[in-house]
Amino acid sequence: MQDRRSFLKLGAGAALGGLASTMPGTVMASECGEIKWNESADVIVVGSGFAGLSAALNAKRSGVGSVLVLEKMQVFGGNSAINGGWLAIPKNPTQLAQGVNDDSPEELVKDQIISGRGMQNEAMLRQIANRALDAYDLCIETGVKFRKDFNIQVGGHNKARAIRTQHGTGGDITTKLYEAGVKEGIDYRLQHYIEDFIMDGQEIIGLKVRQNYRFPDLKTGKSIYIKANKAVVLANGGFARNMELRAAVDPSLDPTLDGTNALGATGEVTLTAMAHGALPVHMNLIQTGHWGSPDEGGFGWSNALLSIGWHEGISVSVLNGKRYMNERADRKTCSEAIMKNRYQDGSPAYPVVFFNHKDHPDDDRVVRALRDDMAWKVDSFEQLAEKFNIPLAQLKQTVKEFNAQVSTRQDPLFGRKMDTAVELKPPFVVSRIWPKVHYCMGGLKTDIGARVIDGRSMKPIKKLYAIGEATGGVHGEARLSSTSCLECLTMGIVVSETIKSDVQA
Amino acid sequence: MNKLMLTLLIGLSLSGSAFAGDLVKMKGKTEGRTNHEFIYEDGCQSCHQGSGKKNATDSACVECHGDINSIEIDESKLAIEEANPHKSFHYNQGASCLACHGEHEKKAPVCAECHRTWFDVM
Repeated sequence: MQDRRSFLKLGAGAALGGLASTMPGTVMASECGEIKWNESADVIVVGSGFAGLSAALNAKRSGVGSVLVLEKMQVFGGNSAINGGWLAIPKNPTQLAQGVNDDSPEELVKDQIISGRGMQNEAMLRQIANRALDAYDLCIETGVKFRKDFNIQVGGHNKARAIRTQHGTGGDITTKLYEAGVKEGIDYRLQHYIEDFIMDGQEIIGLKVRQNYRFPDLKTGKSIYIKANKAVVLANGGFARNMELRAAVDPSLDPTLDGTNALGATGEVTLTAMAHGALPVHMNLIQTGHWGSPDEGGFGWSNALLSIGWHEGISVSVLNGKRYMNERADRKTCSEAIMKNRYQDGSPAYPVVFFNHKDHPDDDRVVRALRDDMAWKVDSFEQLAEKFNIPLAQLKQTVKEFNAQVSTRQDPLFGRKMDTAVELKPPFVVSRIWPKVHYCMGGLKTDIGARVIDGRSMKPIKKLYAIGEATGGVHGEARLSSTSCLECLTMGIVVSETIKSDVQA
Repeated sequence: MNKLMLTLLIGLSLSGSAFAGDLVKMKGKTEGRTNHEFIYEDGCQSCHQGSGKKNATDSACVECHGDINSIEIDESKLAIEEANPHKSFHYNQGASCLACHGEHEKKAPVCAECHRTWFDVM
């Protein structure tokens, strides 16, 4: 009954709003007052990252009718547009050409089970892995270009199966999916912010949307009502940029942690779904990377630069000029050690990482970092100490000790594996580090077909679907790199099939 | 549209010492771009249908200036060749003009959220 009452109130509010431009499709729900719909679509997709764009294109192609994509920001692509363009595809053509013949969807699932630490949704991961080649074909067919002959093994995977887009960004995929959809008649809208869902009991029938919204000012734009004839697909991504929500679900996440995500990753649509009964799971499982830099936005160049620094260089505290961790330890260990570097007022004392410039003068990882001022070349210990306010004598002493350890291949201080360590001598390439929040494993619980589950009935909410980072429980404790893009593209295909079968049922 | 382009040209010629696109006082406290003087004389309706807060999209920009891919920029000023914001790897056609350009205030382009050294506020 609660739902009916709120529905009635919404209806009255809409009428009072005096929406002049009503569509012919105005509905009268018995006992529920009248919602004056400004427009309608058969399928409404919320969000325009990999998941939303894939769902929209596949839904349109499945013939279920008109498709409307709503994006709140002023660009299409969400966080996917700025992601690194890595995509795990077992049995992709490049992998086979490289002679890697022992990979399979099941091998990928095996890796994800280890990483998920028992918290993952194995059936969902298996479904996704089994459809990986469909996701790959979708890319190729819409004109996405991948790097020629490039297929490598990335962290946590037991096989080389990660391919990468031509320009090293997910934008190579989102732009193509979007442009294909425009040609095929999908209606894409920017600056459309979801204010609320319009429910009729256990069924979603439309959305209250703030049109012409300008992020992040909720006073901009105006409210309209859009009727959803057949489906609403939530593909609104994660909430890594919502500081209050982040802190509420994981108090251990330090507020000084910047994020790799696009600014729109604020998760309010997930919260709205929860308010209407959708079950959230694993909300506190938020992935951070210890490889961030405070001197650039987003994911940036830092991770690639540090792939040299962690091995050949050292990380030094600016507070005392000493090493403070095993630079090659895992993500969590390093994050915790890095974040202990604080000034007395608690503000971050960003540690530095440096290695020899002469060993990598033309390496793209170094060249672009120096060019974009997120790393610097220093010619002497004095310059390094002065630039970052590090005690000079101790800095020199630290490097002297480290160089002695390089020759013995032993690190008695922190137990670092020293096989890749190099004797340090200026000039150095130096950058600053601080962890960044990266990915939300938690979100809305769905069934295998992407139907959103109501926590009260444990049954699907009719016509409501969710895919991609907006969903929770797929990856468990930790998501492996290059698997989010796979999940999003694949679930866009799966959800279009579910919608079609639900419509026919 | 032709009429608009003609007034656009007149507007440009009247701007005198200011460069096209400079931000100047237009109407009361409202600032605007010098090449858009004619729009303010028309009562702002070209861009805002009714309230400015409620209605601001880039449809009026596109009507005069054309779509993003077709608007040429001075490529010699780019930080790197690939950093052409009108042919961006991340967004290409999928970006509103408003993501980077502000009519009434200087604005950092969306690219600058990550690529902090590549673009200035405009």
